[in-house]
Order: sequence, then structure tokens, then C-alpha cells
Amino acid sequence: MLGQVLLNGLLLGGLYACIAAGFSLVWGVLNVINLLHGTLVVLGGYLAWMAFHFLGLHPIVALPGVALLVGMFGACLQAGLLNRVVGSPVLVTLVITFGLDLLTRNALLLGFGADYRTIRLASTWGTAQLAGLNLPLDRALAASVALTMTAALYLLLRRSWLGRAIIAIRMDRDAAALMGVRVQRTFIAAFALSAALAGAAGAVLGLVFPISPLQSDSYLGIAFTVCVLGGLGSVVGAIAGGVALGLVDSLAGFAFGSENATIISCALLILLLALRPEGLFGRRGYA
Amino acid sequence: MTATSRRAFVLTALALPLVPRAFAQASVLKIGAPLPLTGALAPEGHKQRRGYEIWADAVNKAGGINVAGTRVKVELVYADYESNTPRAVQATERMITQDRVAAIFGPYGSGAVKASSSVTERYKIPMLAATASSTEVYSQGYKFIFGTLAPNSAVTEPLAEYMRSAVPNLKRMAILSRNDLFPLALGQTMELAAKKAGIEVATLQRFPIGTMDHASALTEMAASKPDWVFVTGYTNDLVLVRRQMHELKFLARVITMLTGPSYKEFTDALGPLAERITSVSWWEPVLPYRGVGPFPTSEEYARAYSVRYNVVPDYGEASSTAIGVALQVAAEKAGSIDPVALRNSLADLDISTFYGQVKFGPSGQIQSQKCPVFQIQNQKRVIISPRDVRQGDLQIIT
Repeated sequence: MLGQVLLNGLLLGGLYACIAAGFSLVWGVLNVINLLHGTLVVLGGYLAWMAFHFLGLHPIVALPGVALLVGMFGACLQAGLLNRVVGSPVLVTLVITFGLDLLTRNALLLGFGADYRTIRLASTWGTAQLAGLNLPLDRALAASVALTMTAALYLLLRRSWLGRAIIAIRMDRDAAALMGVRVQRTFIAAFALSAALAGAAGAVLGLVFPISPLQSDSYLGIAFTVCVLGGLGSVVGAIAGGVALGLVDSLAGFAFGSENATIISCALLILLLALRPEGLFGRRGYA
Repeated sequence: MTATSRRAFVLTALALPLVPRAFAQASVLKIGAPLPLTGALAPEGHKQRRGYEIWADAVNKAGGINVAGTRVKVELVYADYESNTPRAVQATERMITQDRVAAIFGPYGSGAVKASSSVTERYKIPMLAATASSTEVYSQGYKFIFGTLAPNSAVTEPLAEYMRSAVPNLKRMAILSRNDLFPLALGQTMELAAKKAGIEVATLQRFPIGTMDHASALTEMAASKPDWVFVTGYTNDLVLVRRQMHELKFLARVITMLTGPSYKEFTDALGPLAERITSVSWWEPVLPYRGVGPFPTSEEYARAYSVRYNVVPDYGEASSTAIGVALQVAAEKAGSIDPVALRNSLADLDISTFYGQVKFGPSGQIQSQKCPVFQIQNQKRVIISPRDVRQGDLQIIT
């Protein structure tokens, strides 16, 4: 039974990592705590739901399109609004992203209502038996796609020119600008990347969870916890934090009951902050 | 504000509940209805509003309520409390002090009703709650609260008895409850009812509000190999739980869920996975009830509702209409729309309606209701108990 609990935790952790990776990127690079992040995940979920409902597309097939659309939305926000306040005191960006979150969330409420929408596939993949454990294949697919995307972000940051520019800005914005990095454009790219990842996470989560504008708080809470747990400014940290949170949630729920799982997770978080404030994999520079 | 005017303001505010109100002469019966029209409970809030509206429109179309020979029209005053209980309390108080309503139709769910009931009690305004069934709401010793959903034990005890007789060798059950006033109270009442019926409760798990993953609780429940799984929560919770049960290949001979299966959204979201799930309802359109009010029978009510809103009403909507009918008859009998007279008339009420017999107990909660057990068969709700209204037999899952 413990094996099943661990497997459940790992699958959940993969999804958590994907929710948090984009949030961590924007926080780490732009120093913007993006309170809109949870709603961007929900927006991705709705776009995937629409693609499924109106075009009959499987959420994984719709994923690139969803990521592109949410990414473009993110780019517009950064170019039009957030670029003006990067470098301002953190309260300014908090207020702006909070306001944007309220607007977007209420627009979703107006457009879709508060009713929960579900993507109900005509045929699910069912469950595989693995060494006596039940492996729900749809959830496994969702978790693997989520982890693949997070890994792709890691490679992008390590191997591409854009990635190096993002890391350079994170390390020293002025020096990066002197080296020819176009800071404002890179900010736009970083925010768009984060939004695209949030949208893609929404599409993947739509496979598993019902979609509602009211889920955005849960997603934002998860993103926060995973970032602090894994360490800010690190994709590896987001993966580690996500998996750690998934496992802790699952194990604590099993050992102490689901109603106490959040208390245990938060207690561990406080402990970790006291002992290792930079998180599990926190470091300067991103990737 | 000067010291004098501040003192005058405070004195006025303190004296407000004591000001005699001119309700008796009014030609309109104003009713306050705080509702969660946005936020997590918005779907339920809109349904509740439809239940009120169909009653109020039917009454006004017929010329109003006959109060001591005068035709009194009904006016509903709405406020959106955004699914936020403290705002429901504020809205209730505002409606009483500013809008001068003569009665309140309570907010959604036991938690918000309980919180708001302290306000209506203080101002001596009757509150009729359509969607609060937990006894905790009515056990406060309040005199101005009335509810049209039977207590949780009226749901769980007949259910446990029925399952005990209908399912051979039913020995163990596992309960999973949302850690929220009504679902948790229901889970705990179920535990007592099961023990009373001689069924062993192997585990009672709780999950916090907003839980996105039930795998650990379900894994533990599965390990206890229950014959009967009983889950309480709201539609979204139950959809998620059923999906995860499927993913974990966790089945039992009977799966009962409350309250989601009463709603169409539940079967829409789950499709085949909703099959054979059992539940209990406080009212169903096929029940053979008839009586006073604008809707003579359950069937006619359901038809009128379906024509207007293009959907079959569930118990929440019917209960919302039923509180209107109860208030209407109470006003007619009292010959007044004064809040205290309405309260006294409600306390003495014993009427037959499309919703069944409406008679409130000393606590204010309805005493007379029989709750039907149903099962989803071929995507439809089929009543399996009590015998006199049964439409089909229980189908065991495994």
C-alpha cells in the first residue's frame, strides 16, 4: 500500500512541478511575483476544454496551440504593462499582477460561469498494473508531459541563446545589457515562456482535474510552495519541489489523514525555510 | 462628525431594532434573499434564485397573496454575497436595516445559514432556509429560523436500513467526507446510522476544502475492502473522487455519494462512471405530493419549472420554491405580513404542498419529510426506496 501511496505522490508531483516552473522563472528573472499565474493555468485549461469541446482535439494535441495562445497573452501583458514596472518595489508588481488576476478571473467567470467543466474523453487509457501497483495511464501521461515540458524549459535555458540571455539578466541586468542583451525584449520572452508553460500545464491538468476559474488560487498556492521548497531560480528546484510536495501531500495524507496533509506540508515548509532558506536547489542564476 | 451628532447616530443605530415597523399596512411583502451568485457556490446560488423566482412570479401573476382581504405582491430583494459567508451575514443585516424586508430567504448551505441566523434572530425577522439540513443550524435555541430540508439523520438512517436489507452480506463501509459543516456532519451521522444498523465503519476519512487529490484517502479506504463506500461533498469533489476511484481501480458493491448525484452536472461530468452510484434526495419530481400553493402537484411543479428553465428541478430548487409557499400560506393564515406574526404563523404551519407535508418542529427544522433513495441507471435517477414510490431495484456494482 505504501508503494501505491508513493506512486500517487510522484504522479501528483510531476503536475505540481509543471505548475511551478513558469512561476519560478518569472520570479527568478524578472523579480515579479506573478499573482496571475494560477489564472493563466486555468485559462490554458479552458482553451484545452474549448479545443476538445468544439474541435474534438485531445488536450495533449491541443497543447502546443494552447501554450502559444497563452504565451502570446503573456507577451502582450509584459510588453504593454509589466515592462514599465520591472525594477519597481515588489509591492507595485504585486498590486499590478493582483489586479490583472482579478480582471482575467472575472472575465473567465463571465465567459464560462463558475460551473466546473470537465474534459471527458470517449475512451480513457485505463489503468496498468505495475508490480502490484495501479498506474492510472491518463494521469501518468499528464505527469510525463508535464515533466517533459519542464525538462524542455531546462534545456532551453541551458542551450539556447535566449536561455543564456535570461540567465545573464538574472545574474546581472546591467552587465547583460552592456553585453548586448536587449533586456526589455528578453523580459517579454521570459514572461511569454512562463505564461505558455502555465497554459500548457492547464491543458495537461484538464485531463485530470475539473476546470473552474476558482481553481486558480489552489494553483497559485502550489506554485508558491513548490518554488520556496525547491528553491527560487532553478528548474531542477521546481521539479524537486514539485515531487517533494506531491510525496509529502500523499504520505502525510496517508499517515495522518487528508485533512492534516496541508498542515504537515506547511510545517515542513517552515522547517525547511528555517534550516535552508534558499530551498532544496536554490541558487543564483536560472536553470 | 461632531460629538452630538455622533451620539445621535449611535443612539439611532442602537434603537433601530426597536423601531416599530409599518409592515402590517404594506401592500408589498419584501423578502431579502442573499445568494452566492458568484464564486465557488455560484451554480447553487443561481438554482436557488430560480426556485424563488418561479414562486414569486406565480404569486404575483395571480394577483398577490391574500392577506386579510388585501392582495399583497411579493418583492424579492437579492444580494450577491460572492460565496463568502461573512458577506452573507452583512447582506442579511443590510437587507433588514436598509431595505426593511419582512422576511429573509436564507443563503446557501448550513454554514452560511447558521452564521446569518444570529442576525435575523436579533432583529426578530423570520428566516426560511431552503438548503440547510444540518441540525447544528437549528439547535441554537433560535425562534425565527425555519428550514425545509430534513435533518441529516432523516437521510442516513433510512439509507442504512435500506442498504442493510437490500444488499446481502453488507458488513463493512468506508466513509469519506469533505471537512465542511454540512458534508462532515452528514458523514458523522452516517457513521452513527451505520453502527445502529449493524454495519462496521472501517474508516472515516476527511478531506479539506479545495483538495485536488484524493489518492491517499482512497488508497487507505481501498485497503479496508469495504462493501459500501459513502462519500459526502459537493459536485466537484464527488466528480474528482469518482474519477480517482476509477483510476485506482477501487470499487465497492455499493457507492453512495451526497449531494452531487442529484444534479445533472454530476452525470454530465462523469458519464458512464456515474452509473450505479446511489444517493439520497430530499425531493424528486416523481413523488406523488399535492397540496396548496401555486403548484398543485410535484409533477406540475416540475413541468412548470422545466418549461421555464429548460431543466428538470432538483431538491434544492424545489425546496427554494417550497419556502415561498410556506411563507405565502403563513401570511394568509396570519392575515398580516408583520415579521413576528409571520414567525408565529410559520411555527404553527401544517400544510400539504407539491414538496410534501410542511410542518416545522420546535427547532424550526421540517419534521415531516421522507427522503427517497435513488440510483443512477442509464444516466437517469431511478428511485429505489421507499417502496411506495419505487421505480426500480438497486443494482449492485461488483
